[in-house]
Amino acid sequence: MAPKYKLTYFDVRSRGEPTRLIFAAAGVEYEDVRLTFEEWPPIKPTTPMGNLPILEVDGVTLSQSMSIARFVARETGLDGKNKLEKAQADAFVDELEEPLAAKLPVLLGFTTDEKEKEEKAKEVDQLIEEKLGKCEKLSGSNGYLVGNSLLWCDLVFYNIAYYIEVYKPGTLQNYPKLAKVYATVKANPRIAKWVAERPAGQYQYGV
Amino acid sequence: MPAYKLTYFNVRGRGELIRLLFAAGEIPYEDVRIESDNWPELKPKTPMGQVPILEVDGEVICQSMAIARFVAREAGLLGKTHLDQARADMLLDGGIDVGKLFEEMVMEKDASKKAEKKKEFGEKTLPPFLALYEGFAGDNGYFVGYSLTWSDIAFFNMMDFITAEFPSALDGYCNLTKVIKIVKRVPGIAKWLKERPITDN
Repeated sequence: MAPKYKLTYFDVRSRGEPTRLIFAAAGVEYEDVRLTFEEWPPIKPTTPMGNLPILEVDGVTLSQSMSIARFVARETGLDGKNKLEKAQADAFVDELEEPLAAKLPVLLGFTTDEKEKEEKAKEVDQLIEEKLGKCEKLSGSNGYLVGNSLLWCDLVFYNIAYYIEVYKPGTLQNYPKLAKVYATVKANPRIAKWVAERPAGQYQYGV
Repeated sequence: MPAYKLTYFNVRGRGELIRLLFAAGEIPYEDVRIESDNWPELKPKTPMGQVPILEVDGEVICQSMAIARFVAREAGLLGKTHLDQARADMLLDGGIDVGKLFEEMVMEKDASKKAEKKKEFGEKTLPPFLALYEGFAGDNGYFVGYSLTWSDIAFFNMMDFITAEFPSALDGYCNLTKVIKIVKRVPGIAKWLKERPITDN
């Protein structure tokens, strides 16, 4: 029987990876469709908003990466134990995703012009300092951003922190609570297995 | 019932969706509006150095959309199933870029740049967005299923800002016009629209 969920994205991590990490952490099977850029144009008009990722479930197609991730988190019970935790998890995701999750992969994987690289790097450095600073202040100190169990916000954080550590290794050492969250996610057996086995992706640093 | 205290500036901005949701749910809350002069003192006391914040029985929630989603849940307006909730989320997310461009245009201080941005927004950004969302809105006037969700209210709020600059934006969009009508008629919202402080933005 085919899995209930079908995720379609490009062969990159970026905006599709939080959802993949949530499925992995929950041990829930899904179809992980990765399109080439050539395959995309005919599919584009069939998507709700002309973009990816999309998630198909029960004949319904969802778009918008964080809406999809939150949906899968809700389905798998990784969105938060109570309404306060859910709101706190949402707040971390909102703080971390835009615009850092868009700008850092683009800088790492798609920017070749040196001058452009320099400008983008300045912007990204500022964003990293700002966002990690805020999140460090609010993070739990037990290895979870919120409460005392793994939630989707920890996985969204892990995905971005992975890029940050590629970009400027050792950055997390300045943020001890966040470093602990990163370590917790990394050590999670299901996540460790997924990270070891996941496709490398098309681009430099597997963005 | 928990005690809710919303703190934001005396503007609609990023707080108004939250206020509309409290109104729709007919949930009493303290609507604290701070003066810009008082902000530097308050800023370090907030979780992320930003407002709006929502205090609920001593706990503080930050990030306007996280707060809005929390209040939508309290008001029973999140969506009935996970799929409904995801659809509401996705429609909200889809409007954010448009909202940002509109905000950029409004905040532009240089008059000729502003005029240029306004033309671009009105001719290139807004029409495809509205055409897309006309398709998303059911002909019954709801974006999700057959009942009001916070995505209808969020759309109303966004168009409230946009129609101030583009009054005839929704002409010809039957479904979207229905969404606006229905939201305006929600008793708590109708009351709030009459009573809310009038602010520039």
